[in-house]
Amino acid sequence: MKFQISNFKFQTFRFGVGLIILLIAALAAAIYFGSENLSFFELNQTQSSILFDVRLPRVLLGATVGASLAVAGASLQSLLRNPLAEPYLLGVSNGAALGTMLAFVFFSQTDFARPIFSILGASLATIAVYQMAKSRAGMNTERLVLSGVIVTTFLSSLLVLLTSLLDTTKLRSFTFWLLGDLSQATTNGYVLTGIAVILGTILLSSQAKALNLMMIGERDALDFGVEVRRVRLIVFATASALVGISVAASGSVGYVGLIVPHLIRLSIGSDNRLVVPFSAISGAIFVVLADTIARVAIAPRELPVGAITALIGAPMFIWLLRKN
Amino acid sequence: MRNYKNRSPRMSKGGTIKKLNPPLLTRGLLLLFACILLLPACKSTILQKSEEGKMRDIADDLGRKIKIPENIERAVSLAPNLTENIFSVGAGDRLVGVTSFCNFPEDANKIAKVGDTINPNIEAIIALKPQVVFVSTASQIENFTKTLEQQNIAVFVTAPKDLNGILANLRQLGDIFGTTERTTILLNELQEKIIATDEKVAGKTKVKTFVQISKEPLFTIGKDSFLTEIIERAGGISVTKDVATAYPKLSKETALALNPDVIILSESPDNLEPNDVFKNSNAVKNKKVFKINADLLSRPSPRLIDALEQLTEALHP
Repeated sequence: MKFQISNFKFQTFRFGVGLIILLIAALAAAIYFGSENLSFFELNQTQSSILFDVRLPRVLLGATVGASLAVAGASLQSLLRNPLAEPYLLGVSNGAALGTMLAFVFFSQTDFARPIFSILGASLATIAVYQMAKSRAGMNTERLVLSGVIVTTFLSSLLVLLTSLLDTTKLRSFTFWLLGDLSQATTNGYVLTGIAVILGTILLSSQAKALNLMMIGERDALDFGVEVRRVRLIVFATASALVGISVAASGSVGYVGLIVPHLIRLSIGSDNRLVVPFSAISGAIFVVLADTIARVAIAPRELPVGAITALIGAPMFIWLLRKN
Repeated sequence: MRNYKNRSPRMSKGGTIKKLNPPLLTRGLLLLFACILLLPACKSTILQKSEEGKMRDIADDLGRKIKIPENIERAVSLAPNLTENIFSVGAGDRLVGVTSFCNFPEDANKIAKVGDTINPNIEAIIALKPQVVFVSTASQIENFTKTLEQQNIAVFVTAPKDLNGILANLRQLGDIFGTTERTTILLNELQEKIIATDEKVAGKTKVKTFVQISKEPLFTIGKDSFLTEIIERAGGISVTKDVATAYPKLSKETALALNPDVIILSESPDNLEPNDVFKNSNAVKNKKVFKINADLLSRPSPRLIDALEQLTEALHP
């Protein structure tokens, strides 16, 4: 028995090291490949500008956004005991998108309005879903996912309504951003998403033990002395903030929060103390690689990164379902 | 019926549901559907017998053979450049419907709007009783064409791809509307302007030009855009002339490496300054950034020659 446990620990250690090596390799590949070939050992002024002003900020934004979405997905799935719970399915992303859009229309001059409104939108969507799903008997998972579908579709129609009402030329960049677009990365855009994902991962990892107990059932968790309401609040707030900040920076990059935590659970089991941080690393790898394909496949033109993540994500998801 | 009753005893108490005879209901519904299905057929046979003046055969830009009346009094244009072209050949007074994008010339704003280029309102078009509808290949017209032709409305498709295509389109419109004299004058004017720019830029070095269609995300012109040819006629060379498609989304890395000498902004609220990647380019350093009205740059109409003149002025002052 003891041997088994230590063996398990050795395996997870090996898995973690493997993931970190993979992340470094993915980052290296993303920095190496691009629509322009760079001679890395003797960069001229244009090339160093390409590397440091365009390519590197974009790669780092992709990594932090991917990590944010994967961590938010992983913690929501554990909290709601539903493998399909995902920021998009619950309407959190659409709330963030609507918030960003309002900031875009009313405060287009202030840079920080976008993430603030986006977090507000994500939080309001989360509260709405939660209030709709709550019943006297406690939180029912099916009810919650259904409420998520309702909030998602309602917010989608609001987004469509707003885009049809507003001036098309003003919203052109917005339409592209909505589909997931990392090309609009600013030179320092990754700083905010980076800080958010580091703090968010630490905070959610600190709740991992409680989440493990809540995966058995909220009643059981209460019996074990878990402050269920507090954990729920922390997870909802952190996930909303992470999704809000990511969506404000790069639009809706789909499938990350769904696929990545699933792969991790299949590989090392569903202990949240490992699933949460490992999801962060894998989410970063997934989006960085997808964006590299988006940048290089038809260079010098570009594909939207959201299309690539969906293209990889959907078949992978079917494969996972059949394998189980 | 008994099964139904057993499963839901509460319903049967209402009485109404129990007495309904399903076969009768089905038959009634079927009859109703049949009537609805037959309705359009009746209508179109009635309409087809409407007036049939003198017709003639012409071919449009897609090579489709269509019949149009010899005297066209009522026409609809479904593209802003076509509205401009029809006005410029002197047939603007015969337009009874245009799109909501048609804002030039001034008089076009007074004509009834029939939706936009991509979503024309087919009912509004039919209600205007046009003899011909002019469309551009940019719009999705497959189903739309069929419906209009069933109503005895001819659909003329245009696809001008370059400067010569625009001139040919104008000549054809003059012929269709019977305004050949006015059209000849117009064509001569345009030809003179084109020759004048040709002479102005002859022998001058070609200027590396980048056309920015949208700042964020970065869109430009590719090899299929008619603007690539216009830039060359204006004594420049489009730095993105080999990029596939007409209006590609360009990699910022490539844009930075291109280092254009002149940047042309297609002027619209979201495109008033060059993208940040150009901050160290020759164009920005030497203040060679010019704005040209987006309508002038995007519509294959006589105003494109105005754009040509403005471009020549920018590239070779």
